[in-house]
Amino acid sequence: MKAPIHVLAAGAACLAAGAAHAECGDVSITEMDWASSAVVTEVASFLMTNGYGCTVQAVPSSITPALASVAETGEPDILTELWTNSSPVYEELLADGKLMELGHVLSDGGVEAWWIPAYLAEAHPELATVEGILANPELVGGRFHDCPAGWACAVVNSNVLRAVGAAEAGLDRFQHGSGETLAAAIAAAYEDEAPWLGYYWAPTSVLGRYPMVQVEVADFDAEAHACNADPDCPEPEPSAFPTAKVVTAVAPSLAEREPEVVAFLSRMSFTNEQMNEVLAWQDANGASYEEAAVYFLTNYPDTWSGWLSDEARGALSALLQ
Amino acid sequence: MAAYEGLFDALGLRDWCDAGKVEAPMSMAQLLARSRGGEEAAGAEGGGPPFPSLDVLHAACDRIWQSRDLAAAVERNFLSMRGELKLVLDPLTQPLSWLLDGALHVFQAAPWWAMIPLLVALTWLAARSRPVTLLVACVLLFFAVIDHYEVAMQTLAIVFVCTTLSVLLGVPVGIGMSRSDAARRLAVPVLDLLQTLPTFVYLIPLIFLFSVTESKLYGIAIILYAIVPVIRLTDLGIRLVDRDVIEAADAFGMTRGQKLWRVQLPLALPNIMAGVNQTIMMSLAMVVIASLVSAPGLGVLVLRGIRNLELGTGIVAGLGIVLLAVILDRVSKAALGRVDKSQQPR
Repeated sequence: MKAPIHVLAAGAACLAAGAAHAECGDVSITEMDWASSAVVTEVASFLMTNGYGCTVQAVPSSITPALASVAETGEPDILTELWTNSSPVYEELLADGKLMELGHVLSDGGVEAWWIPAYLAEAHPELATVEGILANPELVGGRFHDCPAGWACAVVNSNVLRAVGAAEAGLDRFQHGSGETLAAAIAAAYEDEAPWLGYYWAPTSVLGRYPMVQVEVADFDAEAHACNADPDCPEPEPSAFPTAKVVTAVAPSLAEREPEVVAFLSRMSFTNEQMNEVLAWQDANGASYEEAAVYFLTNYPDTWSGWLSDEARGALSALLQ
Repeated sequence: MAAYEGLFDALGLRDWCDAGKVEAPMSMAQLLARSRGGEEAAGAEGGGPPFPSLDVLHAACDRIWQSRDLAAAVERNFLSMRGELKLVLDPLTQPLSWLLDGALHVFQAAPWWAMIPLLVALTWLAARSRPVTLLVACVLLFFAVIDHYEVAMQTLAIVFVCTTLSVLLGVPVGIGMSRSDAARRLAVPVLDLLQTLPTFVYLIPLIFLFSVTESKLYGIAIILYAIVPVIRLTDLGIRLVDRDVIEAADAFGMTRGQKLWRVQLPLALPNIMAGVNQTIMMSLAMVVIASLVSAPGLGVLVLRGIRNLELGTGIVAGLGIVLLAVILDRVSKAALGRVDKSQQPR
C-alpha cells in the first residue's frame, strides 16, 4: 500500500510545481455581439485558461440563439452577460433546470432609459424631463427612436409613449429595424450635433463614446411596468425601467464537471464604473476587445484576484505583483 | 525584444522610430509573456521570424502604422467627406424616398375589395393564363384570411418600386456594357462588388449621410443588390445575338440605333426578361435585410419571430415571402412566355 501513495504524492507535487491546474477540461463560453460582453468573455477566458488550465472556446452568439442552444443541446457551457429581461424564456429555462444562474456579472445591473445627447441637455436643460420634451417636441426633432420590433423594450416604450400622450404632443415614434441602426442614429446625430431622443442602455460603448443624459420619465413603479410590458395593456401608466439584472448562467452539466470554474464565475462581477471606464479607454485608443480585457487585467488586479481560487491565484501570481 | 528591431537598427532608423513613441495598448500575448516570466516569452518566438505585417513592424518601430490605424483612417476620411457626399447623394436619391412612401401609401390606402380584383385583373392581362390568375387570386385571398394582407401589400409595394427602378436603370446600363468592351471591363468588378459586399457595410455609413428615418435607405439596399442580374443578362442577351443577323442588318444599311431597337433588343428579349425575373426574386430575398433598416412588411414579422423565438410567427411570415415570390415568378414567367411567342414569325 505504501508505494502507490508515494507515487501519487510525487505526481501531485509535480502537478503543483508545474501548471498547478490539470483538472479543467474543455469549456465553451458565449461571446455576445456587444462591447461589454466581449470584454467580459475575454477576461473570463484569460483567467480560465491561465488560472484554471481550461481549454476555452468562445462561441460568437447573442442572447436568444444562445438560450435556444443551451435549452436544446446543453451547449455552450457558460452564458455570460445575459440581460435576463430581454428574453422571456430565461425564467422558464431556470425553472426547468436547464440553466443555473450564478451571479450578477454587472453588479450595478444594466440601465435602460430614454436619453438625449449631452449637448442638447446643455442647450435646453428643460429637456431632461419628459414634460419638458412634450412641451417642445421640435427641440428633439419631433421623434422618439424606439428599439426594433421583437425587443421587449419596444412594447414598454410604445405603452409609455401612449401613457404620456406623446402622439398628441407631436412626438412621433420611429421604430428601428435593428440595434445597429439605432446605434448609428446616435452616432450620426452626434456628428451633426443634431437633436435626438430615444431608447438605449448602459453600459455600452455607444454611451461610453457619446455622453448622453437620461430623460426623467417617472419613478419606477413595478405594477405599471408589468402592464407596460404587455402589448395589450389597457391603461398604461408612465414608469421608468427597472434596473436590469445582468447575470452569468451556466449549463448544469458544467457545475458537475468543473465546480472550481463555476465558483470563479459566480464571483466574477464588474461594476458599471469599471466597465464604462474600460469601454471608454478602449474607444479612445481604438483598441480591440482583447486589448480592453488586458487593460482591465493590468489595472484592476485587486478586483479579479478576489474572484480566483488560491490555486489559480498562484498560477497568475506573476501578474499580481 | 520584438522581431525586426535589429533591421531598423541596422538601417540607422532607430532615432526616427523612437521619435513617435506613444503608449500603445498591451496585447494579450504581451500580458501572457509577463505572466510567465522572460524565458518562455523568448521561446515563443521560435519557428522563424513572424510575417512582417504592420503590427509586427510596429512592435519594432513605433513610427510604422498599426493595422488598426488603416481602419481609423478610412473612418476619418469618410467622416470628413461626409458634407460633400451628402450634398450630392441626398438630393439625387430623394425621389426614391418619395416613390417608396407614395407606393406604400397607395397600396395600403386602397381598400382590399378594389386592390385584390385589380391585381388579379393585371395578372390576367400580363399572363393570359387561367392557372396563374387563379393562383394569384388564391394567394392574395390566403394573405387576407390569415390577416397578413397589409404586411404583404407593404412588401409588394416595396418590391414593385424597387424592381421597376432596377429595370429602368439596369437595361440601359446593360446595353452600354454590351456596346463597349472597355465599359464591360469596368462594370463587371462593380457588379461583383454589389453582389458580395455585405449590405450593412454600406448601409450603416449611409445613415451618416441621410436620416435613418428615410425610406430610401432600404430602397438603396434592395436596388443595389437586385439590379445586378438585369444588367448582366441584358449585356449577355445582346452579345448573344447571331453575328449573321447583325451582318444582314448592316447590309440593309441600318444605323446603330435602328440595329439596337429593331434587331438586337427584340432578339435579346428572352434573356432580358429572365434578368427581370431574377431581379424580382432578388428584391424579395432582400426584404428581411431591408427590414433591418426599418422597411415595413413581412420582413418585420420574420425578424420579430427570430428575436422572440416565436417560431410560428417567423415561419408563417417567411412562407408568406415564398408565396409572394412564387406568384411574382409565375406571373413574370407567363408574361415572358407571351412576349417570346409574339416574337415568333408566323
